[in-house]
Amino acid sequence: MNAITPIDKGASVALGAPIDVTIENVQKAFGDTPALHGVSLDVKAGELVALLGPSGSGKTTLLRILAGLDAPTAGRVLFGGDDALGLSVQDRNVGFVFQHYALFRHMTVFQNIAFGLTVRPRGERPPKAEIRKRVLHLLDLVQLTGLDKRYPSQLSGGQRQRVALARALAIEPRVLLLDEPFGALDAQVRKDLRRWLREIHDQTGHTTFFVTHDQEEALELADRVVVMSKGRIEQVGTPDEIYDAPASPFVFEFIGESSFLPVTVVDGAVQLDGRPLDLSGLGAPSGTATLGFRPHDVSIVEDGSPAITGTIVTERRHGGARRLELEVGTDKHRVEIDMPVDHSRLAGNQIAFRPHRWRIFPR
Amino acid sequence: MSDEAFTTARLPGASAIHFRPVTMERKHVRVALILISLAFLGLFLIMPVVAVFVEAFRGGMPAFAEAIFEPDAAAAIRLTLLVAAISVPCNLVFGLAASWAIAKFDFKGKSLLNTLIDLPFSVSPVIAGLIYILMFGSQSLLGPWLKSEGIQVIFAVPGIVLATIFVTFPFVARELIPLMEEQGRGDEEAALSLGASGFQVFFRVTLPNVKWALLYGVLLCNARAMGEFGAVSVVSGHIRGLTNTMPLHVEILYNEYNFAAAFAVASLLALLALFTLVVKSVLEWRYADEIAATRRH
Repeated sequence: MNAITPIDKGASVALGAPIDVTIENVQKAFGDTPALHGVSLDVKAGELVALLGPSGSGKTTLLRILAGLDAPTAGRVLFGGDDALGLSVQDRNVGFVFQHYALFRHMTVFQNIAFGLTVRPRGERPPKAEIRKRVLHLLDLVQLTGLDKRYPSQLSGGQRQRVALARALAIEPRVLLLDEPFGALDAQVRKDLRRWLREIHDQTGHTTFFVTHDQEEALELADRVVVMSKGRIEQVGTPDEIYDAPASPFVFEFIGESSFLPVTVVDGAVQLDGRPLDLSGLGAPSGTATLGFRPHDVSIVEDGSPAITGTIVTERRHGGARRLELEVGTDKHRVEIDMPVDHSRLAGNQIAFRPHRWRIFPR
Repeated sequence: MSDEAFTTARLPGASAIHFRPVTMERKHVRVALILISLAFLGLFLIMPVVAVFVEAFRGGMPAFAEAIFEPDAAAAIRLTLLVAAISVPCNLVFGLAASWAIAKFDFKGKSLLNTLIDLPFSVSPVIAGLIYILMFGSQSLLGPWLKSEGIQVIFAVPGIVLATIFVTFPFVARELIPLMEEQGRGDEEAALSLGASGFQVFFRVTLPNVKWALLYGVLLCNARAMGEFGAVSVVSGHIRGLTNTMPLHVEILYNEYNFAAAFAVASLLALLALFTLVVKSVLEWRYADEIAATRRH
């Protein structure tokens, strides 16, 4: 695949003004199985929002409800202040990009992109020359110039996904919805397309939702990230907020790497097995709590001051660091910490450390 | 193919090594398998078909033409074409509707419908014929009413058409269902989200996606509709020139020891089978890429 080059700023896609999207207490059940328990979300016009969660978290269901491909059991969805649920899929005017592209295999790339325009009622259908102009322009935008006569089976995965995006953009959608857009692609293509999608978004300005289970993708691409779990929204925030101030142990564990220890908060200070750790309780009430920290946010303590002490179980290379797995405390809780690569320790040895950034989650 | 045709590699200091794909049998096993298949095919398929044509032309071309253009034979040919012309389109519509329903949405009793479609394959055609006699015959519940309305189903063309439809209805559906299930609903959803109406989705996305399978189904359905004997025999009444289809006509001629005529008409049916095979092969060869693309992708 060609390297993705910056988009020509002179090119522009005709579209209506971006709109706000409001989701109010949307619920969905498939038979007796609940998929969404009352989800509410406000998205501003032109925002790029990631719906992030493990499989079964309801993120794709929410996306399909926005598109009109599924109907919620209860709740409201507003596009620009107007009820959207009353509109059929066809009238909702959303661009939907499917995980497996869903390109029409018997049509050329050109016919695929033009499809949304050619199915319009005669009165609203642009003239042939206009359709042609718009399709070729979109092909330029997705950097597939000259491939208009190819069939989908003659394209690579990354190229197919770009055709799918061009096809969705062709109908001048009010909202752009992408379901795991890079899920079926290999790592390098994913990274290129990610950056490129961000550029397309900045240029076209659609209110955009994309579903992903890849936290790195969500954090890198989105203005705001919606972390979902078991049909509920766990946290909504900017990538910084989600990473640095996770609202729950779930978010902390799901985003980035994490270690947890059961601790007690006594008068605003953290204790492990009854011994103070010299860590603030960060405002948590007294009682049992969970201490969470990132493996790379720790310092070794060698001067005997209060610290977490553990026995090294294994060590292995982890990117630019050496990762130790420790057993801590009387219950032998397993935690992971990162050390400089040259800092080799033998399994079975004791090591003392203290996190320099941490979160406390009351239990 | 000889073993030497495979890669022969010479490693330094080693004698030549023959590579044979592990799933490929030894030469004598391969030859034996091929011979058994050919012998079987020759004995049970090729020889009988050749025999049909040899017998058909035994009396020369004029006798052949006479047997076919004789009024009763011509009537049988016309009736067979008529029955196929009615039952194939009916099963085309039914097959599309059933496979659409089974592949594209969920409903109660879906697996029952899926099983019922196979029923004609598992039921003896004679029983299929008897069912219609029980339903529409003079002894049936509907019988008196049909008689008073002057509608004759049994021993008439409508009965023959009904029996043929029953026997041939799995063909189109069975070709389409696996393909449509494999293709899923993604394309239709994409088309809808792009603003296409239901009709546009069907004619511009769904139908093109299954057109080859549909054509196969229609070909097979047609071959069976024209060749059906058992069910039609029960409901037909064997009235010469009126309710005799080609297969029935062949039987009558044969029972009358009119072998030349019987084989002449039979050769037409054999030709139909050969024609179906050829069209199927040509389609597969000519559109192999496209057919493969609609299945994979």
